[in-house]
Amino acid sequence: MRQTEETRERIWQGRCRRLLVPRVSRIVMTLVAVSALPSARAADLGGRVVDAAGNGVREAVVFVQTPPPNLMPPAHPLPAVMDQIHKTFVPHVLPIVVGTEVSFPNHDQIHHHVYSFSDAKTFEIPLYKGETAAPVRFDRLGAVKVGCNIHDFMSAVILVVPTPYFAMTDESGAFTMRDLPSGTYGVVVWQENSKTPLDDTLQTVEVGASAPRLTFTLDVAAPRARPAARGPGSYE
Amino acid sequence: MRARWWRRRRLRSKIFLPFSVLILTILLATVWVVGTAGGAWVERSIKGQFEVTGNAFRALMAERDERLRGETTLLAGDFALKRAIATYDPDTLASVALNYRERIGGDLLWITDRSGSLLADSRERTAVGTAVSGGAPLAVAIATVAPAAAVAEVDGGLMQLVAVPVLAPDPIGFLVAGEAIDDATAAQLHDTTGTTVSFVTRSRIFASSWPPAVRTDAAQADPPVTREQLARAAAVAVEQTTFLVRQGRTRLLSILIPIDAALPEPLYALVQDSYERALGPLVDLPKRAAGLGLAALVGALVVGAILAASIAAPLQALVAGMRRVLAGDFVQRLDIRCEDEIGYLARSFNDMVAGLEERERIKETFGRFVSHDVAAAVLGGHMPLGGEWREVTILFQDVRGFTALAERTAPPVLVGIVNRLFTEMVAAVEAQGGVIRQFTGDGVMALFGAPVQHSDDPARAVRAALDMVARLPALNARLAAERLSPLRIGIGIHTGDVVAGRFGPDRRSEYGVVGDAPNLANRIEELNKKLHTTILVSGVTAARLGSEFHLGRRVVLPVKGKDKPVEVVEVLGCESATCQVGYARDSALRP
Repeated sequence: MRQTEETRERIWQGRCRRLLVPRVSRIVMTLVAVSALPSARAADLGGRVVDAAGNGVREAVVFVQTPPPNLMPPAHPLPAVMDQIHKTFVPHVLPIVVGTEVSFPNHDQIHHHVYSFSDAKTFEIPLYKGETAAPVRFDRLGAVKVGCNIHDFMSAVILVVPTPYFAMTDESGAFTMRDLPSGTYGVVVWQENSKTPLDDTLQTVEVGASAPRLTFTLDVAAPRARPAARGPGSYE
Repeated sequence: MRARWWRRRRLRSKIFLPFSVLILTILLATVWVVGTAGGAWVERSIKGQFEVTGNAFRALMAERDERLRGETTLLAGDFALKRAIATYDPDTLASVALNYRERIGGDLLWITDRSGSLLADSRERTAVGTAVSGGAPLAVAIATVAPAAAVAEVDGGLMQLVAVPVLAPDPIGFLVAGEAIDDATAAQLHDTTGTTVSFVTRSRIFASSWPPAVRTDAAQADPPVTREQLARAAAVAVEQTTFLVRQGRTRLLSILIPIDAALPEPLYALVQDSYERALGPLVDLPKRAAGLGLAALVGALVVGAILAASIAAPLQALVAGMRRVLAGDFVQRLDIRCEDEIGYLARSFNDMVAGLEERERIKETFGRFVSHDVAAAVLGGHMPLGGEWREVTILFQDVRGFTALAERTAPPVLVGIVNRLFTEMVAAVEAQGGVIRQFTGDGVMALFGAPVQHSDDPARAVRAALDMVARLPALNARLAAERLSPLRIGIGIHTGDVVAGRFGPDRRSEYGVVGDAPNLANRIEELNKKLHTTILVSGVTAARLGSEFHLGRRVVLPVKGKDKPVEVVEVLGCESATCQVGYARDSALRP
């Protein structure tokens, strides 16, 4: 019984990772692409992020740091969602374009107290349940470390980037940034445990009818041990 | 040499010396054994105490570490603190640091940003913005994003520090809480364990339970902790061996216990305890042993003196007694009433003196020539020596022609001849139980029947006379070999009543007989000359003889000094072939 429930939960989590995240980013990207219609031609920018040993790095965000001059960021980006399910922020890493409003629905049966003291955004949503909390608008670039005051083990990162052109690597470290209008892009990669400074990852790429494949190499530290989740609904 | 020296010692010394040597040896051995065992015991006990101190110290450090860590971690999780840190407002954070330090009760609370730059100091000593991340444990905590602890130096003092990250949920800063390792800590350990504790490096004394005056006063001649000692101690500290430190008269057994610390030099807990205090009563042992030894020696001297006196006094009495015996005092007796060997010796001495006295008395009474039988009879008390009437047979022997012999013989030769004759005569008398009464120059007077009486005293006298005659030829043969003239003897015997007893003044009294019979016997002997006979007996004597003797004719002759003539009989021999006399060639009595 318990195992069935566990399996179901795992499938649900898996679906969240596989479906929800790409779906959200894809929606965003589509919207961005639509807003950038003046440039008719577009190409996908793909590549891979690896560590020093050549292994793929997952959950790395590849994003455009310097877009072509004619490309304007969206005035009203679509809202994004950081869910709280089973005392876990979903997704763990949420890249958004600057100005995006992120809502923090709580789908657990218990309260959460979402906060961040990061320079890019300091905010706090005191103890709440459900979807009552007002969305938070992120209007400064940078990584916003999000935590829960009453659950030390819960953590997430909202990466606020300047353009809607970003992509997250999969398990193998591969990424694809879709429908980039032609132009010259400065592309960087961010990873939570990367020790390589962001500016050092900058690669300038010319996007025309097609785009070259990019490879980023990061010096990745072992992920920091975090307090283990405890209590009902914990699977760690 | 040594043997002679020993021989010359007095008895008291001979008793006292071995006693003293024995006592001293035992004492020294005891002191040595107790000292050795005691020293080892004390060292073991102090080492044990040191271990206790070491354990207590480690336990104290662990407990403080745990408490600091727990409380600081709790504090770091406080959301209000996170909020306060997020403000990065120095004044707010300074008050927060002060307030939170009071919450956890430590000596120090630092709040730093995530890079280790100081945001607030509860003591408001270190300036905001100072990078305090250089030292442990903050550097470790920054690197590992986990709590870290270390002993470090803060503002010249030792601090037990704990650094804990403030996670939101990534580190937004660090809390560094500290508890001082100071004199109070050392004093606490001292109170718990009873040993002195100092926290030292080779060049510094951070804290100590020694009074500051002892510890730091430069005028102090022997501070318990000196640089040299620390240097020496540091060299052996790895082995955790104990070493002695002299402080004036006190010896401090010390040990260095290494403490993990983020300091340029190794940090130690120097644990010390007074060797003398731990030795306790053992310290006075040599003195006490010396006192005991002195008492024992005095005791040995007294006991030796008493023993020696108890032995020597009777011995000295014995010696004195022997000297008196030497001087001729046989009357004395020793009054020593012991049942031991000395008593036995004294009794033997008394017996000896008694024997000597009796012998002397007999000698005085009978002269030298008393046969063993007679002496035995006298000593046996069978013979009264007081005066009494008694019938005795008296024998007179004389050398015929002695005056002429004396004239033509040199005196020494004459004495030799006479003495040889007397030897034979005395032997003949004693063989028959007679007693030599006196020597008459060339003859002897012998008594038979006194002091010892026999049933056949007249016969004994005649047998003695025959024996005398029988011994003569052998003596004459020897004289002839020396070209000396042969001796001829005459013997007169008479039996009669006499008064027998001791005569003469005390010391010179002799046993003797008084009466007419000796005179008559003498006269009868003199008749031999006239009658040319050898042995003449009176008629009284002849009447008492048995048939064993061959008697000659009886004649009645007038005797000088006697009114009535006396009947005499010549003895010619006896039944035994060995005692034949026969008639002399010129005997007047020859038939």
